[in-house]
Amino acid sequence: MQSPDELNSLRTLILAPEQLEISELKERLNDPGIRAEELSRIIAEAIVIRASKDHKLATALLPTIEEVIRDSVKRDPKFLADSIFPIIGPAIRRSIAESLRAMVDSMNTTLEHTFSWRGIKWRIESIRTGRPFAEIVLMHTLVYRMEQIFLIHKETGLVLQHVAAESVDSKDADMVSAMLTAIQDFVNDSFSAKEDSSLQNLNLGELTIWVEQSPRTILASVIRGTPPQGLKTVLKEILENIEFEYNSALNDFKGDAAPFEPCRPDLQYCLSQAQKTDSGRDAVTPVPARITRAERTKKGQGPVLFIYIAAALCIAIIVIGFILSNL
Amino acid sequence: MIQKKICMLGSFAVGKTSLVRRFVENMFSDKYMTTIGVKIDKKMIDIQQQSLTLVIWDIAGENGFHQIHGTYLRGMSGYILVADKTRTSTLDTVINIQKTVGQAFHNVPCVLLMNKMDLTGQWDVEESTIDKMQQEGWDIFRTSAKTGQNVEEAFNKLAVRMLEK
Repeated sequence: MQSPDELNSLRTLILAPEQLEISELKERLNDPGIRAEELSRIIAEAIVIRASKDHKLATALLPTIEEVIRDSVKRDPKFLADSIFPIIGPAIRRSIAESLRAMVDSMNTTLEHTFSWRGIKWRIESIRTGRPFAEIVLMHTLVYRMEQIFLIHKETGLVLQHVAAESVDSKDADMVSAMLTAIQDFVNDSFSAKEDSSLQNLNLGELTIWVEQSPRTILASVIRGTPPQGLKTVLKEILENIEFEYNSALNDFKGDAAPFEPCRPDLQYCLSQAQKTDSGRDAVTPVPARITRAERTKKGQGPVLFIYIAAALCIAIIVIGFILSNL
Repeated sequence: MIQKKICMLGSFAVGKTSLVRRFVENMFSDKYMTTIGVKIDKKMIDIQQQSLTLVIWDIAGENGFHQIHGTYLRGMSGYILVADKTRTSTLDTVINIQKTVGQAFHNVPCVLLMNKMDLTGQWDVEESTIDKMQQEGWDIFRTSAKTGQNVEEAFNKLAVRMLEK
């Protein structure tokens, strides 16, 4: 009978490579660092494969993801708000658009009962363009002109871009931008407003200044007249695009506004499009606010003219009918 | 064109607004009108062969940082502390302001202006105090908004330090 030592020696001779392999495997299994390294090499593919088979992976991860989001919001709600800022605007607007559509439908029905020469003209335009009658009415009765747009770096109050309409006497953009920021800070400080609240409108006579804000920029628009609320949507979209497209430039901003030159044409285009005069055409000089087509039309002229035409048509029909009946 | 925001800080009636007016418009008035809130001015200068626009936030003087609207300081690239050489208490105020602002705004360059140097008969702050502070690392300019002494030099020095960052 062989001794244990001799058996061990024999075992080592015969099984040395396997013993080494087992020892290495044990080390890999017991060392968390090595296991994590190996898992990291395959985890991405494993998730893809598992997710393609059924929904169990999503179900398994759901409670963890919910908890992560909850913790993130508790720790710093601003981080999540800033991250989803580019998409939250469109999502909210879509929801509001649905509600407004229903409201416009109702208004449309009411306005359809209005009977006037101007109303008939607008009704024809509504049929021709396919737009609701209420929208046509609103479009023709608002008179406004966007005169200036300031794109401002929120933290410093420095101007990134400034565009102004022709013949508008614009003041120093640097000073105006800084003062707007200072006014915002002053109002927030003085009235203990919540950190995420902001000044949105300033009214000065016939001028309105709309202030749209994003996490890092402010878009201030100076408008003369009564602008449609839909214009705010356009401004919001411009700001969301700027936040998205100029993300790096905004993060690295140290006073040089040159990287923001490419957004100037967009601001210029917005300026040139955002105006409506009482003639319905672009005007070189701004039209005084709140003067609509109704106020400029002489009282009672439209309906009287319509009655004359209707009467003439009726007479013509009667005469033709009389002639035909006698033939 | 590079733009930089700088803030004027200090106790009331030390001459912050007068210094800004001297620097921007090269003018001075003896008439005192306290600044309410903040006043903003701008000047373009050429420093180290590049054009720089300084947007100067002249903040109303208070007696402690806790009363200063910290939100006005957001995003500043540099700041100027102003003390009145005829009132020692104003120097204590700027020292306190610098301690608090320095903690909130790390590595933002600043210069200290010892103003009203023209009122030689009314000096209250000792020259030795100023020298000692300079040795401690403070960047100090002896200025007068009335005569213009060292005003442009002080703003230019701050501009250079901001560009170096």
